[in-house]
Amino acid sequence: MTIPDVREHTTEKNWIGKSIPRLEDRRFLLGKGGYIDDLVLPNMLEVALVRSIYPHARIVSIDTSEAEALPGVAAVVTGAQAAEMTDPLPDFGPDPENHPWRCLAVDKVRYNGEGVVAIAAESRAIAEDAAELVVIEYEPLEPIVDPMAAKEDGSPLVHETLGTNIAFHREFTFGEVDADFEGADRIISDTLHWGRSGGQPIETVGAVADYDDASGMMSIHANSLSFTSYLFMLAGTLRVPSNKLDMHPVSAGGSFGSKLWEVKTPTIAGMLSRLCGRPVKFLQDRMENISNGDHHGSDRRYEVDLAVMNDGTLRSIKITTVEDYGAYIQFGVGHHGNALAQVTGPYKMSSVYYDVTAVLTNKCQQGAYRGFGSEVGNWVLERMVDLAAAELEMDPAEIRRRNFLEPDQFPYFIPTGNVYDSGDYGGVLDKALELADYAGWRQRQTEARAEGRNVGIGICTCQERSVFSATEFWFWFDEPGAPVSSMPESVTLDVDALGNITATLYSCAMWGNSPETMVAQLVGEEFDVDPQTVNVVYASSNQGLPATGPGGSRFTVMVAGAVEVASAKIKKKGAAIAAHLLEANVEDLTWVNGGFEVAGTPTARMELADIAIQAHLFKHGLPEEIESGLEASHVYDHPYTTMPNDDRTDLGVFYPFMGHACHIAVVEVDPDTGKVDFLDYAAVHDCGTMVNPRSLCGHIVGGTAQGIGTSLLEEFVYDDDGVLQTPSFAEYVIPTSMDVPELKIGHQETPSPYTPHGIKGGGEAGRMMAPAAISAAIDDALRDHGVRVRRLPATPERIVDWIDGGG
Amino acid sequence: MKAPPFGYRRVSSAAEAADALRELGSDARILAGGQSLLPMLSVRIASPSHLVDIGRADDLRHITADNGSLRIGAAATQWSVENDQATTAAAPLLADAISRAGQVPIRHRGTVVGSIAHADPSAEIPAAVLASGATLIAASTGSEREISADDFFQGPYMTALEEGELLREVRIDRWPDGTGHAFEEFSHSHESWPVVTAAVLVLLNGGTIDRVAIAMSGVDGRPVRAGQAEHELTGQAPTPELLAEAAQSATRDLEPFSDVFGSGRYRKRVATALVRRALTTATTRAGGGA
Ligand SMILES: Cc1cc2nc3c(=O)[nH]c(=O)nc-3n(C[C@H](O)[C@H](O)[C@H](O)COP(=O)(O)OP(=O)(O)OC[C@H]3O[C@@H](n4cnc5c(N)ncnc54)[C@H](O)[C@@H]3O)c2cc1C
Repeated sequence: MTIPDVREHTTEKNWIGKSIPRLEDRRFLLGKGGYIDDLVLPNMLEVALVRSIYPHARIVSIDTSEAEALPGVAAVVTGAQAAEMTDPLPDFGPDPENHPWRCLAVDKVRYNGEGVVAIAAESRAIAEDAAELVVIEYEPLEPIVDPMAAKEDGSPLVHETLGTNIAFHREFTFGEVDADFEGADRIISDTLHWGRSGGQPIETVGAVADYDDASGMMSIHANSLSFTSYLFMLAGTLRVPSNKLDMHPVSAGGSFGSKLWEVKTPTIAGMLSRLCGRPVKFLQDRMENISNGDHHGSDRRYEVDLAVMNDGTLRSIKITTVEDYGAYIQFGVGHHGNALAQVTGPYKMSSVYYDVTAVLTNKCQQGAYRGFGSEVGNWVLERMVDLAAAELEMDPAEIRRRNFLEPDQFPYFIPTGNVYDSGDYGGVLDKALELADYAGWRQRQTEARAEGRNVGIGICTCQERSVFSATEFWFWFDEPGAPVSSMPESVTLDVDALGNITATLYSCAMWGNSPETMVAQLVGEEFDVDPQTVNVVYASSNQGLPATGPGGSRFTVMVAGAVEVASAKIKKKGAAIAAHLLEANVEDLTWVNGGFEVAGTPTARMELADIAIQAHLFKHGLPEEIESGLEASHVYDHPYTTMPNDDRTDLGVFYPFMGHACHIAVVEVDPDTGKVDFLDYAAVHDCGTMVNPRSLCGHIVGGTAQGIGTSLLEEFVYDDDGVLQTPSFAEYVIPTSMDVPELKIGHQETPSPYTPHGIKGGGEAGRMMAPAAISAAIDDALRDHGVRVRRLPATPERIVDWIDGGG
Repeated sequence: MKAPPFGYRRVSSAAEAADALRELGSDARILAGGQSLLPMLSVRIASPSHLVDIGRADDLRHITADNGSLRIGAAATQWSVENDQATTAAAPLLADAISRAGQVPIRHRGTVVGSIAHADPSAEIPAAVLASGATLIAASTGSEREISADDFFQGPYMTALEEGELLREVRIDRWPDGTGHAFEEFSHSHESWPVVTAAVLVLLNGGTIDRVAIAMSGVDGRPVRAGQAEHELTGQAPTPELLAEAAQSATRDLEPFSDVFGSGRYRKRVATALVRRALTTATTRAGGGA
């Protein structure tokens, strides 16, 4: 595909751009959201796991006899027994056959918290009682905790069959890196470390499986799976025919990525349902979610060199990163693919070197978390730009402005081959400086410092790539197993006899975002109906069309495309009916305010409802070729992707709709305790045309809160022996509403030329930016102490250590 | 996270509670607000045979101030105590400490006495109780004894209570009018568990410190008094330098534990800062100029 046609966007919109109340809110606020734990099927069993107390140990023996004898217990299944009933879990990583990932550990455990035995019982309480009766003899093995040691020869191995703990290593060179470095005035270098945190949904991952041995149908209600085109892989794991697996999407109380491809929970529930012949619910408790949820976020160490000119011009960047993936690597290094989508940020830079090593250790594996690894890239780039500004004694806003791509340079291909569709970065920066009262804060900062207060201001200008292509899951392989290239989203619109519209969605779309509101506003725009009257339902996968769901800020853009085409199909049929009944030529009809009318004769008109009732009930009044009913489906493919080249010096277009934001944080640091308090916070976002500014603000606020957690508080801590020190919310501290400042939010709209209405994704929002702004603000506050934030989270104790001279 | 099986008995008086403890033996536990006990059951680090629920014992719900002494019964919730005028007048330090202990919904169930009996080494309420020189009343069938706060806290989750004893009441003698108080806490988020706290009472007399009490939590296996620092301050005029020195000596001999919330070294540093701040605030409130 070459560059798609540029679309004309009208600015006259009825519903897009309005902050209508969310359609989802009412049922959730009434307690009728229908979460997994609300779902109770007759005769249902519940599951508890016995999880490993060791980070790394051989399983010598398992005695389940006492547990089996406990009244109320239906089944006790060890990992070895589970391996008789299921195949390994689907895994998109390198060499899955050499590090097989199973629903329960077989032979050895590879992290503290890994499931070893599953128990199905009449209640979760009984299952937990039985779990205490399972006797497991372990032979502890040396824990592999530090990824830098783990990648060395001679380290004990997480997976013996792999023969190394390095699951993946590759260097990428994009553009003339050496020449750009040679021609640079300065090389700015640093070492950075982004710590491990993760999404924290209110309801954890859960599934209710109901296997029917009469029909052979495996029905699973789950809050965790989307990607309907890939569900055949789960069917394979469960050893049911792909057309006999039916996933019913259930609303999730948040995902933030952490439920993206959580297959383990549905697998365990499905396996036990089939074994017991009864419905089975498995809902992780909090400790399971944290220790065994397969969705920890990035954990990266970096060596970075930035080539700059003395006037502040950025030329090139060399990034060498070692990532601690934990015990498995289900998505491969897709997280780095994500970072490569926007590796040069909003800046003109002509080359990039990227060296990634993925290491396996005895920790819970990574999955997805809001940003999918690109948020880490943003932080690293902004940290380096700040360091350059400091060394060149430039204002952090100025160095950024000097390097911004200009609005007339789009579409712009960055060195990795990805395209940025549109942008106006200077416009966003101006708005943010004004919104934050940057000049005023610099003044107040001077006053505060005179009083001995450690007040600092941090600025970042970051990209938010949106709408990924399937290629990012494999382009880092030389020989990918399957170079897939589809990631569609689908919708069915059905206009009933009275003209009321139902939209059917096909992915597990409700993850705390606003898919129903988005679809209803889009449908409202197409048909001039009040979005609140649109009924939005979710189809199960077996009755479904291919769909990908939320992730990589793609849902709204993609479903907008599906709605656009499905609406056009309906309107085409509607126009044919109206033309026939109005005795007019179809070409003379125009859609005006909810109906078709004959151009120039507004009295000759049919409303959608008039057309609909004819379409449903009056076959003999219609032209012969028109079938009854008024519905249409559309499978919408990604509007702009291209394939990578063979040697991967060009990754192709894989994340083209490029949002942007500027965050400005003002903090005060208490040098005695290292505690960081916010004095002010401003965020200006540009994600193209906004569908609903209010729900977008929700993303910005929530994402920024998560960014604050990532920056200051949240970390999955494994001690030197590999024991998880943060197994619950008592130890894993997330910011509360009292810790998050009131945000000043501003918007800019630079429409995408390639998407319906010019929409870009905005779902990952603040978490992509806040860490960079906060780190810079801390540096600025503690500049007299020579502090530079090189590691996140910047916990109070780390900050006082840095003040004390630790670095 | 489901509790293991246990027996449950609801009692309607302190005497019934003591009898139940005697009858049910050493594996029975008092259930007060349940805000520590129920989570411990859920993660199965406690598995008592019976819970003796004192939540509806009418003679344990009292909050009274008489003869200069505040008495709080074992079933009085933290919320009711911190919002009680007698408490805020007689023991404002305790009221401040309670207001930092967990969230409002938790304090609507959690009891003051339960927090004392639980004896978490970082908790707020035990620190305030210790600084206040409180007396704990332990009751068993047919008898009662008084335990001073200094003797009550013995280690992490360990107290001077003996088998069969119910902690019936805490008594706090009111400090003279004009006493300044201050409670300082460091926690990672607004509502997360306390890491270090400092509780201070200061009484001035003609510009010098007449009486002072300093207690800290999160720096040892139990809340500790800073006797040496109190001694150094008594009789002195409170200058900023003096208070800073006192804060140093308050923590000098401590060797705090390390955990995921903070290393021992960090705890010591924070404790020193919090004691200095609490001394400064309390002295100012007492009418001193420091
Ligand atoms: C989300 C959350 C946040 C929290 N945050 C904090 C915090 O910031 N700071 C803090 O200090 N605490 C905190 N807590 C703990 C809470 O405040 C408890 O209420 C308190 O520690 C115990 O009081 P309780 O009445 O709930 O006691 P329970 O939980 O009922 O009992 C605790 C223990 O004390 C024993 N016990 C209770 N009463 C008596 C008695 N009269 N005689 C003998 N033994 C008795 C019980 O047998 C049990 O072993 C938090 C709890 C939660 C759930």
